[in-house]
Amino acid sequence: MSAGRSALPREQVRSRRRHLVPYLVMLPALLFLLAVSIVPLVYSLVVSLLRFNLMNLDRTGFVGLRNFQLILESPDFWNSLRVTALFVVIAVGLELVLGLALALVLSRDVPGIGFFRSFILVPLALAPVVVGLLWRFMLNTESGVLNWIVTLFGLPRLDFLSNTLLALPIIALVDVWQWTPFMFLILLAAIQALPHEPFEAAAIDGASTWETIVHIALPMLRYPILVAVLLRTIDAFRVYDLIFMMTRGGPINATDTLSWSVYNVGFRNFNMGYAAALSWIILIIVTVIVTIFIRLLSGRGEQPA
Amino acid sequence: MTGTHGDHGNRAQGLGETRISRRRMLKHAGAAGALATAGRPLLAAGGAALGSSLATPAVSRAQDGITLRGIFLPATWGTVTQEVLAPEYTAQTGVNVVIDLIGRDAIHDRMGTLFVAQDSSYDIFNVDYNWVPEFARAGHLLAMDDLLSAPEMAGDDFLPRALDVARWEGVLYGIPQTVHPHILWYRKDLFEEAGLEPPATMQEWREIVEQFQGQTFGDQEVYGWAAQAARGFGNVHTWLTFLYSFGGSTFNFETMEPTLTTPEATEATAFWADMMRFTPPGINDYTYDEVTADAAAGRIATCLQWSWGAFAVDDPSISKTVGLWEFVKVPAGTASVPHLAEWVIAVSNYSQQQEEALKFIQWLESPENDVRQALLGGGDPVRASSYENPELTEATVEGFPGLLRFRRYPETLEAMQTTQPRPLFPEEERWEQVVSVPLHAIQLGEMTVEEGLAKAQDDVNRMMQELGYF
Repeated sequence: MSAGRSALPREQVRSRRRHLVPYLVMLPALLFLLAVSIVPLVYSLVVSLLRFNLMNLDRTGFVGLRNFQLILESPDFWNSLRVTALFVVIAVGLELVLGLALALVLSRDVPGIGFFRSFILVPLALAPVVVGLLWRFMLNTESGVLNWIVTLFGLPRLDFLSNTLLALPIIALVDVWQWTPFMFLILLAAIQALPHEPFEAAAIDGASTWETIVHIALPMLRYPILVAVLLRTIDAFRVYDLIFMMTRGGPINATDTLSWSVYNVGFRNFNMGYAAALSWIILIIVTVIVTIFIRLLSGRGEQPA
Repeated sequence: MTGTHGDHGNRAQGLGETRISRRRMLKHAGAAGALATAGRPLLAAGGAALGSSLATPAVSRAQDGITLRGIFLPATWGTVTQEVLAPEYTAQTGVNVVIDLIGRDAIHDRMGTLFVAQDSSYDIFNVDYNWVPEFARAGHLLAMDDLLSAPEMAGDDFLPRALDVARWEGVLYGIPQTVHPHILWYRKDLFEEAGLEPPATMQEWREIVEQFQGQTFGDQEVYGWAAQAARGFGNVHTWLTFLYSFGGSTFNFETMEPTLTTPEATEATAFWADMMRFTPPGINDYTYDEVTADAAAGRIATCLQWSWGAFAVDDPSISKTVGLWEFVKVPAGTASVPHLAEWVIAVSNYSQQQEEALKFIQWLESPENDVRQALLGGGDPVRASSYENPELTEATVEGFPGLLRFRRYPETLEAMQTTQPRPLFPEEERWEQVVSVPLHAIQLGEMTVEEGLAKAQDDVNRMMQELGYF
């Protein structure tokens, strides 16, 4: 009896320990997450409520939501938001169309296709600052290769990067040049994982290529497309490197994106309170976008197979 | 660098800057090494005390093991310091001096973040003078008045305006390393062919650039003039020379209210905007590099450019116009008042080796090394005596006998008598960003002069209110 009584608590202790194991295993990762993500996030929220300039600490003080108010009242913020949104729509939209088209074309098994698939990924391997510099040179009004091509057609040289109408679409096109391969890669993998039967059935039924793509391939690719667009949207929203290398927000303020504004305010003016508030506004916007995408994705189970 | 690398400070280096300086450095480095070796006994003998602590660098190896770290601009003066002078100082004193070269904006960012953390990793910084008030007010820079007043420093020899911009509230926080005020460059051969004299007034200059615009000389189409015009600091720095030369000002410095809509400012801006019609295609994105490239390629008849940059057009490996450029002071509106560009050397208040850092700066900016920096292809001198030194005034361009290498110096020195700095207050860097945008809108014809200046005035007013100035 006494042995049985003492065995029961020991079993309970073992059981409790077993329950603790998962938490203990997760603890280092949780602590790491807390240190590198949660604490800075909370800290930045606190900073966003302060008047806090690194070069004028004497004026530091709690100002509540004043930084947020200043941002929302600033025409520069609304311009940056508009510029960023336009950039995301142009860049991600074109990347999707081109990436999907390339994936559909290069999903076929023909000789030499492996080379093309590899070759097309080269821009992905380049650092964005290198891409920006490269294109800046190519777009130069006097010595750029693109203007040389323009003159071959007897047209006048174009100030690509100092034209308020052209600068933003051109930077978006450079982004398309670099990131379409990413879209292509995801969609190619998705296309190659599609079952053959629906396509064979469609062929037997006499469906055209266009009908097959629109009515069979695209619905089946809906979720990979959503994931790819989500990832690229988040990334495009943060565009900074290309702006830094190509226009620095100009001409006038035609390419002043939100990330560029944060850099300017935070690291050139050292106005950390304002920069933190601006960063939080960007975070909120991106979170709303992500939530919409996730809602779309979570509807997956309700769709017909 | 106040624009010496253009608005895109972190982009590729200026045209041929590094190549030129390295070649010249190689030429002079041998002599420098020999001088360093031969000079050791002299330095030891002449090492009088500098106050109580700043002795002339000792030649013994007693200081082995000390390492000074500095951040300099990757322009010629930074390269010369990194590749020739710092190693030479190490050879003389045993103090290891490690210089990192990073772009203009990156220096500013790095200084800010290091200073806030009170980080002592770096001792010495190459500083664009408009940052002095910002970092000095925050207590991050070491006061250097004692260094300047040391007899060995020959402080009286520094160009007065070069020193003035390194002060904040009367205290000196930097020793000048190079000055480069705006001067007017003009193509002597084209002017002679057209029977023209270099312009003395803005109006004369305007007539000349209009005459040259679109003309073809040989097979080269030529444009009237060029200057930095990219958004950022480029267009602001060019505009400031017009503003000052027409009698305008950026602020009422007693009240710190902006004065961007005064009749003088309006006249200056209207003149500058009108002049932009006689520039090359793509001008609105021009940085220092593009202006230099056009000058070297022979695409422009005149330009408003930093004095220091003239070395590039006399390098036959990159220039088609060697010996064809001459220099005069900036044409007068009501007076000739060029905008000043200058880099100073400052010491971190958090450095653990401030004494050694000051000794190095004292050595680097000694009268002898001011001349040597110029000969090695660094920046233009900061001492009055250097502008009269025959080593410089009689130096010729290699391979071009009779072509004076520093023929710009008389104009540079004259410009240093009248030059004006950017407005010196701690938030100047932000002020430039604010003003740059409406100025760019004026350049591009998106706003009239009056609209653009009114917006600039409003934006600066709002900024100053937010900063608590009024």
